[in-house]
Amino acid sequence: MNKLNEILFFVMVFILQLVISDYLHLGPWISLSLIPFFIVSISLQRSPQAVMLIAFGLGIGLDILSDGVVGLNAFAAVMAAAPRKFFYRLLVNSDRQDKTEILTPRDAGFAKYLRYLGIITAIYMAAYVLLDCVSFRPAGFMLLKFAASTVASTALCLLPAFSLQHRN
Amino acid sequence: MKSRYGLFSALTAIVLFIVLETFSIVMVVKEGVVQRYKVLGAVRSVESWFWERTSKVSYYFNYKTENERLTAENLQLRQQLSRYAAAQAELDSVVRIVEPMYTFIGATVIRNTVDRQHNFLILDRGSAEGVEAGMGVVTSRGVIGIVGAVSRHYSYVKSLLGTDQSVSAKLAGSGAFGPMVWTGTSPDIAQLSQIPVHIQAAPGDTVLSSGYSTIYPPDIPLGGVVSSTVSQGSSQVITVRLFEDFRSLRNVYVVKNNRKEEIEGLYEQAQ
Repeated sequence: MNKLNEILFFVMVFILQLVISDYLHLGPWISLSLIPFFIVSISLQRSPQAVMLIAFGLGIGLDILSDGVVGLNAFAAVMAAAPRKFFYRLLVNSDRQDKTEILTPRDAGFAKYLRYLGIITAIYMAAYVLLDCVSFRPAGFMLLKFAASTVASTALCLLPAFSLQHRN
Repeated sequence: MKSRYGLFSALTAIVLFIVLETFSIVMVVKEGVVQRYKVLGAVRSVESWFWERTSKVSYYFNYKTENERLTAENLQLRQQLSRYAAAQAELDSVVRIVEPMYTFIGATVIRNTVDRQHNFLILDRGSAEGVEAGMGVVTSRGVIGIVGAVSRHYSYVKSLLGTDQSVSAKLAGSGAFGPMVWTGTSPDIAQLSQIPVHIQAAPGDTVLSSGYSTIYPPDIPLGGVVSSTVSQGSSQVITVRLFEDFRSLRNVYVVKNNRKEEIEGLYEQAQ
């Protein structure tokens, strides 16, 4: 996949995220997000600072263009982006030679990719639910929302991940 | 040299992380959703135009239910009007005509969310029609929210279905009042708190707006009591099923309190 196609692909995924945010309503228990997919898919050659800035840009862009509270997705995205490298080394590739630029399930192996994506999504959702609900909602509600949103968003993120894999 | 560079890189990453997260939290706390509506006025206008058209499509599929609801409301208002007309005729001879405390601006909901922790509505009335930030929004079956921001022809309403919204409500029988807030789980359920334990609240009892604010008129029916529990031994928390179905909102009224400035001026004098 050439660079232009790659950019177009990610723009399409972002538009899909906007449509999901604005028109797919699953009730107060589940928040769906594709931002963890973006965070996992940012080039492995990028520095942690660049990853955080890109994640922040994606989050704030989503907040502004969709019907969310400005800052909510940005906060969660930066929280998930910051430890990305650490979890990548821990769960996917512990040697320091990154052969691929954009990680796909095929490159990492499905089980490893799923674990890695799941952890990034869990961090994202923990930050999101905490900032959205803390001091207003009971802990049980927050825990349930966190669990349901993490599972649903991880499954959703696998769709563009596999699509990306087939395009490469 | 390499370790120094690593240390510098780690430090900049930590500083950047703190700066970005602090910036995000500040935006959330400062009600960024309203700021966005003000800042991105042009974008919102385009979106509002689009939502207005899509809401018309969805209304087409719900018009029968909406029509029945409006007919019932119309009947109820006509009955009230006939009673007031008779009373007014008697009063006119002895009391001078005064400006009504509240006036209402009819509006149509063109965008509505119910599944978030911070829900909102967009109405097709704005500053050109006299809508101002801070005004209440109601229907005959409940309180809907508060206008957060206005553009020329549209207004953004912070829904009662939000973590930071509450309405002063009272039990119809006893008059005991307290803040009523949404529980966050279902658009039908809210909780009325700070009701003294000696007050009896039976399932089915009506909960009304208290009118103890300058935003909402008194005695708007809000919902029916479902159950009550004692909280911390000193007061009751009453679960209320809201009368208004937020999922199918269409026609609402923006409330203008004509004496708001006078009342608020009084507060300022007292302080």
